[in-house]
Amino acid sequence: MATLRPVTLAKSRLVPLSEPWASLTPGGGLRRGSTVVVHAQPGLGGLSVGLSLLSEASAKGHWAAVVGVDDPGVVAMSDLGVDLRRVLFVPRPRGAWAEAAADLLDGVDLLIVRPPSRASHGAARKLMDRVRERGIVLIVLTEPRAPWPLPADLSFHLISSRWIMSSRLDARYVTLRVSGRGEAQHRGEHVVMVPDVRGRAVAR
Amino acid sequence: MERLLALWVESLSEERPDGSVLRDYLRVLDAVEVLCPFVEPVRLGLCTLPLRGPSRFFGGDEAVLAAVRQIVRDVLGLDVALGVAEGLFCAELAARQEVVLQAGQTTAFRRVQPLAVLGHKELATTGRRLGIYSVGDFADLDAARVAERFSAAVRVLHRVARGELAELPGQRDTRLRARLRSARGEDVMGDEQVSFFGQRSAGDDRARAAAHRVRHRLGPEGVLVARLRGGRAPEDRASLAPWGSPSCDERDDAPWPGRLAGPSPITSLHQPVAVELRDDADGSVSMGARGSLSAAPASLVFAHGSRRGIVWFAGPWPLVERWWASGRRRAHVQVLLDSGEAMLLSAEVGRWWLVGIYD
Repeated sequence: MATLRPVTLAKSRLVPLSEPWASLTPGGGLRRGSTVVVHAQPGLGGLSVGLSLLSEASAKGHWAAVVGVDDPGVVAMSDLGVDLRRVLFVPRPRGAWAEAAADLLDGVDLLIVRPPSRASHGAARKLMDRVRERGIVLIVLTEPRAPWPLPADLSFHLISSRWIMSSRLDARYVTLRVSGRGEAQHRGEHVVMVPDVRGRAVAR
Repeated sequence: MERLLALWVESLSEERPDGSVLRDYLRVLDAVEVLCPFVEPVRLGLCTLPLRGPSRFFGGDEAVLAAVRQIVRDVLGLDVALGVAEGLFCAELAARQEVVLQAGQTTAFRRVQPLAVLGHKELATTGRRLGIYSVGDFADLDAARVAERFSAAVRVLHRVARGELAELPGQRDTRLRARLRSARGEDVMGDEQVSFFGQRSAGDDRARAAAHRVRHRLGPEGVLVARLRGGRAPEDRASLAPWGSPSCDERDDAPWPGRLAGPSPITSLHQPVAVELRDDADGSVSMGARGSLSAAPASLVFAHGSRRGIVWFAGPWPLVERWWASGRRRAHVQVLLDSGEAMLLSAEVGRWWLVGIYD
């Protein structure tokens, strides 16, 4: 069995991403200290895209937490390649999502947050600052009724999706725009299959 | 005694240092478990399952054998040797010789085996001197005479030869289940969270401390960890347990057969929501006794009255679990709404439930 060294990884500036996300992202990973927004209409695939960003990191020994996702489909997450042994779920933080997120900052490398309603400017600022300070990655899942009030370092904006059906739902094409600041600018539109027939995220 | 179907894959019988044999063996078990949840890992290369239930379900022994053979070929690209007999000892022999014994034929089969199949060198040598060549010859020796001449180990083999014991000592790897569990990652959950690498890393400790803080803030149900187990529907296979609760072995209770194919919903409702399905004429769509829908669903109506148009549906796929007992009866239907959202519904206790969303 291959020995991995999470300690070495922890020094790296990037938290690793699997394909197809690595090739859509500057440097092929998520920059520590940065905030990533995954924005989508409900049901378009935002949750699959957001959770799929955990797969490579969790498999390489990084811990992740998922705050505010009510009923995570852990079979689907496992199919996406997420190593569930290193994921903490805080499904219903009620009014305390920001506090719960703050509690987790020191414990994980990736923090996924789905605010139940529109986050205040102040709460968003505070969380992003602390994420930068701690050198972890914040992934915010948003939808039109609860947008993130501040610009993110990197954003995945889901534009449309289309299911492929046979005698059942087989796979889904998701069209998304990747944009961001600095080197992440103008990354353009991409089509990704998530989930494919085996539940994975793959490049089209 | 129950007829066992034994699966023997010689190339998976010896572990390689990279652990690949155990992983391949696990893949075979997982695949066969889709047909029968009672598949039993015996030791590397060998597993068994009781044939009666699957045989009734698939319509005969031959159909089960064909399905198992195909599954192993699909999963590993390997041929599996299959055999059927009563008791583990004879089932393994039957598999190695690829014979299918009907009920009552096992004793005769056992008796004609050469003495060497008992795996005891000294017995085989002494036996030859005494003119004992087959298991049957050995079985016919008087137990008192065997006790006089042979060691305790051989006395046990004598009972196996007589059919009083169903398996050889050492035929079963007693540590295999634990190894499989750890290969599946099932033993590393809970408060005593141990890292994948055998000992806790600094990262694991930090995560534990963070989980403690959140639990302190939100209460014992505040932080959950995921567990996967055998089962058919995504909502059965997944479980989220409070972080720090003792892990338990839930695999024995895996329902079957056949998992729902294709991707699983990324939202799996902890508490399914009651919904209604309506047809074109706004009539209620129900599950018929023969496992078909009474009409094509055209809209999905929630309890609070909101209504969504259905543009496509698939199913129903019945999930009758343990049909020989009075199990839960369910059927799944997938629907695609006009908004582009896809959902998984389940029919149970006479009504429809939203159980998953493919967000």
